[in-house]
Amino acid sequence: MTRDEAQERFVALLQERFGVSEIPEGNYPLVDVAHHFELARALRDEFGYRIYSFVVASHYPAQLDAKNDNAVIDTEHYEVATGLRCIGAPAHLASWRVRVELDQSVPTLFPLFAGADWQEREQYDLVGVRFADHPDLRRLMMPEDWEGHPLRKDYAIETACPPWR
Amino acid sequence: MAVDETQRTYDHPLYQHVERMPGLSVALGNIDQLLTWGSANSLWIFPMATSCCGIEFMAAAASAVDLDRMGSIPRGTPRQCDVMVVAGTITVKMAPRVKKLWEQMPEPKWCVAMGSCAISGDFYRDIYSVIPGIDTFIPVDVYVPGCPPNPEALMHGLLRLQEKIRMLREGKLTREELRPESPPNLNRPAIGRLHDPERDPLTSEEQTDSAAGLGFGDNLNLARIRRPRPTAEPRPQPGAEPQPAADSDEESAP
Repeated sequence: MTRDEAQERFVALLQERFGVSEIPEGNYPLVDVAHHFELARALRDEFGYRIYSFVVASHYPAQLDAKNDNAVIDTEHYEVATGLRCIGAPAHLASWRVRVELDQSVPTLFPLFAGADWQEREQYDLVGVRFADHPDLRRLMMPEDWEGHPLRKDYAIETACPPWR
Repeated sequence: MAVDETQRTYDHPLYQHVERMPGLSVALGNIDQLLTWGSANSLWIFPMATSCCGIEFMAAAASAVDLDRMGSIPRGTPRQCDVMVVAGTITVKMAPRVKKLWEQMPEPKWCVAMGSCAISGDFYRDIYSVIPGIDTFIPVDVYVPGCPPNPEALMHGLLRLQEKIRMLREGKLTREELRPESPPNLNRPAIGRLHDPERDPLTSEEQTDSAAGLGFGDNLNLARIRRPRPTAEPRPQPGAEPQPAADSDEESAP
């Protein structure tokens, strides 16, 4: 099986079982957060994606239309991209993203992949997205008494970081 | 014979024996010279190497420049060392460790800030996790500029440190000038970082605008990103208690 065939199989899985209609060019397909855990379990158990490759969370501030009286174009939200890789040929990387609002949380993949533990802690630490049912969701990179999450878009530039500023 | 305490390089048990014996105190000057000669020519280095300056430090310790030939032997433990060479960026999380290692070094001890990150933070200066110069928490004797400095530049810095030790022997520097008392808490950096009341506000504004222009287009509300600028307030005196960090709901794990 070539890598293209594996990608087609992955897209077919998304479309048939997880209700994904749009496969964007140059970006990961957007999956409903309710299907996040089931998709990972299907990929691991049925298709042999055994390596938890990455999880990357992004924070998007609210987009306001400055020309139209600051009408809300898009609300503030997180996007969490996850990638799983299958062992052996074709070594395909199955990756998707889920969108959560600020008060929502992403189901953890720790019951499926033990390696998700620290990677999800890191994303929580730096971005602030919460992983539901994670066994030990503490800070990983920053000091324990750090305030806020430094990779949020509204954190940068002019946030005061004690004690040196 | 009155002994000038401030002109001594450091305290040594030998001094006590010399002072107790009549007549031998004349030799005190010579013994002081001997100890100064020894300490200037056996500067054992504790390499506090955290990033690329550490590679240049290794090159300086290797055969081409060869710090060993002037008695500067890198050791792996702070307890045997005289000089701490801080080579690399020191982060907020690393700084307490560096301070603790510095305090474990026996007197007399000196510190060399190697590279622009250790000196001032360089272009990481305004990043949330970086210390703007190690002289905000430990006293620095010699600054070796460069990004990273040549091995020869580090050699030069150590030679200048030897000069400094010899000048102390000649009474040109007192002990207080050589190594001021480490502040009980942290110093402010010499040049204000972001959000510092003493920083030029135009610099912050330009930096905000240029960073905000990265990929947001016309839809960006700059008022969301710009925080209200703090009013200028007097700098806290060294020794004042730092402000305790306020608890927030965001940082507590569920």
